[in-house]
Amino acid sequence: MRDSFYGYVRDDGQVGIRNYVLLLSGTLYANPTCERVAHTVQNTIPIVHPLGRCQIAPDLAQTFRTLVGHGMNPNAAAVIVIDHFKEAGCEADAIAHEVAKTGKPVEVVNIRNAGGAVQATAQATNLAVELNRKVTGQRRERVGLERLVYGINCGTSDVTSGLSHNRCVGWTADRIIEAGGRVLGAEVTEMMGGEALIRQKAKTPAVAEKLLGYIEKMEHEILACGVDLRGSQPTGDNIAGGLSTIEEKSLGAMMKWGTKPIVGAVDYAERIGGEGGLWLMDTPGHGGESITGIAAGGAQIMSFATGGGHTINHPLMITMRLTGNSESWSRMGETMEVNVSDIFDGTPLDQAGERLFNEVLDICDGKMTKGEALREWNAFAITRCGPSV
Amino acid sequence: MTHVEADPQAMMRALIVHPDDNVANLIGPGKQGHQVSCVVEGQDGIETIELVDDLPSNHKLARRDIQAGEPIIKYGLTIGKASQAIGRGQHVHIHNIESGRGRGDLNRE
Repeated sequence: MRDSFYGYVRDDGQVGIRNYVLLLSGTLYANPTCERVAHTVQNTIPIVHPLGRCQIAPDLAQTFRTLVGHGMNPNAAAVIVIDHFKEAGCEADAIAHEVAKTGKPVEVVNIRNAGGAVQATAQATNLAVELNRKVTGQRRERVGLERLVYGINCGTSDVTSGLSHNRCVGWTADRIIEAGGRVLGAEVTEMMGGEALIRQKAKTPAVAEKLLGYIEKMEHEILACGVDLRGSQPTGDNIAGGLSTIEEKSLGAMMKWGTKPIVGAVDYAERIGGEGGLWLMDTPGHGGESITGIAAGGAQIMSFATGGGHTINHPLMITMRLTGNSESWSRMGETMEVNVSDIFDGTPLDQAGERLFNEVLDICDGKMTKGEALREWNAFAITRCGPSV
Repeated sequence: MTHVEADPQAMMRALIVHPDDNVANLIGPGKQGHQVSCVVEGQDGIETIELVDDLPSNHKLARRDIQAGEPIIKYGLTIGKASQAIGRGQHVHIHNIESGRGRGDLNRE
């Protein structure tokens, strides 16, 4: 069993599996500038979103925390924060200040100060070229799996999810934790109905209570809308795939957690602690929002397990997709990396799990995912708490 | 009397995830009247159930007769309850079971 990978060791001890220059958009009005630079300069990744302005305080704090978390993610070797105006509570200089604590190079480009979006594009383009020269001399080093944060998530679930691919993710999570690593899961909607299992798996009663609090808060918010969750969760495609209730979906989703105890629970986009083991984050079931929280939490790589097949790909946290549904593999294999549908033909879980484990470590070492090759930057989405104001 | 070979297409398979479960997960699509060989995880031997309905790929069938209001058990845990009586071999899905969670609709007048 492999126990190491080759990554870029950062000043703060985190280890990147990629060495990108990150273009972080402070507000939606800076998005096109980020995208122009990303399409011009190699090895840059744009983080764009519709937020950062006219948000209530808890939302602004969540946007800020999510953007800072991406700047701090070790897959970013250097960061350029691009902003439009100064937005109290989510200001580019404050984002840069937090990210700079990692020791990585951070620059700020303010569109207004630069003289407009064209000038800002030129300024950020020059900076991106120079930062690429600065960071790409770094070599990969061999490090142990205790330096890995393995993100886990699932989407477009069907009945095959809890029986095949989610169990392979759980198997891989177990091996990473046994080697001292951390695993970060999320998706509170898909914990509804799994409370008994959470109580069993939590390392301490405090961890269980925190998670049950997240579930209660989410269910309360749904009930307050006066609607039936059915149709939204399980989603229409879940139901077509044979999942009948949120409880069934939840228990299948929880197969990804493997067999190890839950050591901690964190808020949306909060960075996880240093203890090895399974961590869980307060996120909705929505794939893009969930994996964005996990990337901000510090994960370098994500296994996204899918029944129906998926194109989901986070721009910065390297996302590999797997399925145990043979029909989905034949329809959607062009944007997925691993097929474990042979479990239904009798392949033991150990064998299928090890196939996933090896692919995860190959990708950590630099093997490109299909999402990276296609620059399928579709899954950056920040969860919101309240209305725009 | 001539021996008739079983049609391979008729050999349908299903998985029962936990010994306490009252539903089985079909592997692939299912045709009414066909026999389904069910593997029970962690147990030896095969259970055979005759399909009463046509089933879409990977959907659930009842492992035994289930009364209206009875819990539906999968992974050894409750995933909802029967909204009507369900016979052994029938399709089990949103038409005959319902969730107990996130039901804001039940709170309304």
